Amino acid sequence: MRYAMAIDIKKCTGCHSCSVACKVENNLPNEIWWNRVLTVGGESMDTPKGNFPNVKMEFLPINCQHCENPACVKACPVGATYKRKEDGIVIQDYDKCIGCRYCMVACPYSGVRQFNWKKPEYAIDVPMGDKEVAPHQYNSVEKCTFCIHRVARGEKPACIETCPNRARYFGDIDDPESEVSKAIKNRTYFQLLEEKGTKPSVYYLT
Amino acid sequence: MSTQTRKSSNIWLGIFAAFAVLGLVCWILQLTKGLQMTNLSTTNMWGLYITGFMIFTGVAAGSLFFAALPYLFNLNEFKPYCRISAYTGAVSSIVAASLFIIVDIGNPERVWLFITSGNLTSPMFWDFIMLVSYMVISIIFTRQLILVHEGTKEEKSVKPIAVIALVAGVFVFVTSFVFSFQIARPMWNTPAQPVSFLLTAFAAALTVLMIIAFVLNKSGYIEMSVNLLSRIAKVAALLLGAELVFVAAEVLIGLYPGAGGQYASASWLVGGGGAVRFWLEIAALAGAIILLAKKPTPKGGNLISGAILAFAAIYLIKSNFLQAELFNPLLNLPGPAMFGDGASFYIPSLVEVGLSVGIVSLGAFLLTIGFRVLNLGTHSSEHERGKLAG
Repeated sequence: MRYAMAIDIKKCTGCHSCSVACKVENNLPNEIWWNRVLTVGGESMDTPKGNFPNVKMEFLPINCQHCENPACVKACPVGATYKRKEDGIVIQDYDKCIGCRYCMVACPYSGVRQFNWKKPEYAIDVPMGDKEVAPHQYNSVEKCTFCIHRVARGEKPACIETCPNRARYFGDIDDPESEVSKAIKNRTYFQLLEEKGTKPSVYYLT
Repeated sequence: MSTQTRKSSNIWLGIFAAFAVLGLVCWILQLTKGLQMTNLSTTNMWGLYITGFMIFTGVAAGSLFFAALPYLFNLNEFKPYCRISAYTGAVSSIVAASLFIIVDIGNPERVWLFITSGNLTSPMFWDFIMLVSYMVISIIFTRQLILVHEGTKEEKSVKPIAVIALVAGVFVFVTSFVFSFQIARPMWNTPAQPVSFLLTAFAAALTVLMIIAFVLNKSGYIEMSVNLLSRIAKVAALLLGAELVFVAAEVLIGLYPGAGGQYASASWLVGGGGAVRFWLEIAALAGAIILLAKKPTPKGGNLISGAILAFAAIYLIKSNFLQAELFNPLLNLPGPAMFGDGASFYIPSLVEVGLSVGIVSLGAFLLTIGFRVLNLGTHSSEHERGKLAG
């Protein structure tokens, strides 16, 4: 069994709802994003590529790719990041992280792993999101968990449920009947930086 | 050691201790307020501390290598200085290299996890093992060399430890694996990188040893002829020359395709955010090679300026090597701002500089103490005792 995600970039309108859902669900501190929607083509965020009137908007939502062959897991000197045998989710153990940031150096998908450079501060005074989310730690690296706390209850990750265009799919890629397997069947897709051999578990439908 | 040199070394000890305390204050500041006190960011997550770690691991490795060389290849005229080299290896591996790692990590109180939970596939773990072995080897080696000098041990008995020290020194290429094994960083991910690490490590050690030799010569602790110093300088010049070829080739290979991961880093160095520091690096390298290779002036002034310039060049090489890749990640698309976004180059913060100066000063403090206590000079201890009594 291996959990995977498919993102239909033809359906993505760059509304950043997935980023916000992730931020709320996981009570992310200020300046920390586990899920970001990048703009393809334009020079800055949410700008089109090309010259008017021949312009085009395209987006690339990005989170931890939960690679089958993760560079971060090999790099971590103390085993604070590891891949779960039972479902392929790459976990970051905050209690073990020494904060050396080597995993961030090793990961080709820059920015999906983020470090708490200061004591976590929050936009509002009360904690948000699910109570089962592990508390954020000062001086540690964190990243997308595929919402393990929701998956454990048989639910889908927050970003999947929130996407207003239903552009995101989730499930067991080894099960041909799962939502994600059906989504990539008969579609063309790419995986990010496939040539690096990391075997990411996020599929981008084109 | 004469009373006068003892006095002046006392002053230096005071200065080094003061800077070490300043470093400690910076570290406390960083521990209480977090690594936000540095100028690092989510994109550029490694900086001055990792550069310091690279340089002093190199100094440790090179010092061990060059301390062993005279005993294995019978370079008799260099033998009297090997204790200083071995001891420099011990200090730089213990203080400089390992402390630079401790201050860089967010949770130094968890550093014991390296022992209880070390990950065998991590190049950083291999490097940790290597640094620990450097500490052990250099301490044993220094002690054995002292015993030989005192006459309680035969010279040939140090051969086994000298072989180990020599091999350990060459193994500094393991440090390059921390970087060169990373598929996410095209410019690092080449088989040439370990060779470059070897060149710069040995060059860094030679420049530091030359600076130490110059200071100790002046204080009368050792007597080293300008001719010997010049021979060391020529080896350093050769190593730096090879590194200059490497840097030029690395940048040209990156620029030629006109696009791609390596191109991004190479063009950032030549004409982008890293340009000023890159061209300073090239100028410092070229200047150092010329000064070190030139015929020495009577007091060897050009050699010592060359050594200082070479050390600056090695700092720039390591820092540019790091930042050229970190500032140019493979996925470089605009998106929501992350911590520290917006900078196009990196200048260390005052806390980073203060802490690094503190670590190096602590190293210099231990060197000075060691020279005083361990009797590593070229004059015999009886002679010195006589001098002191007189």
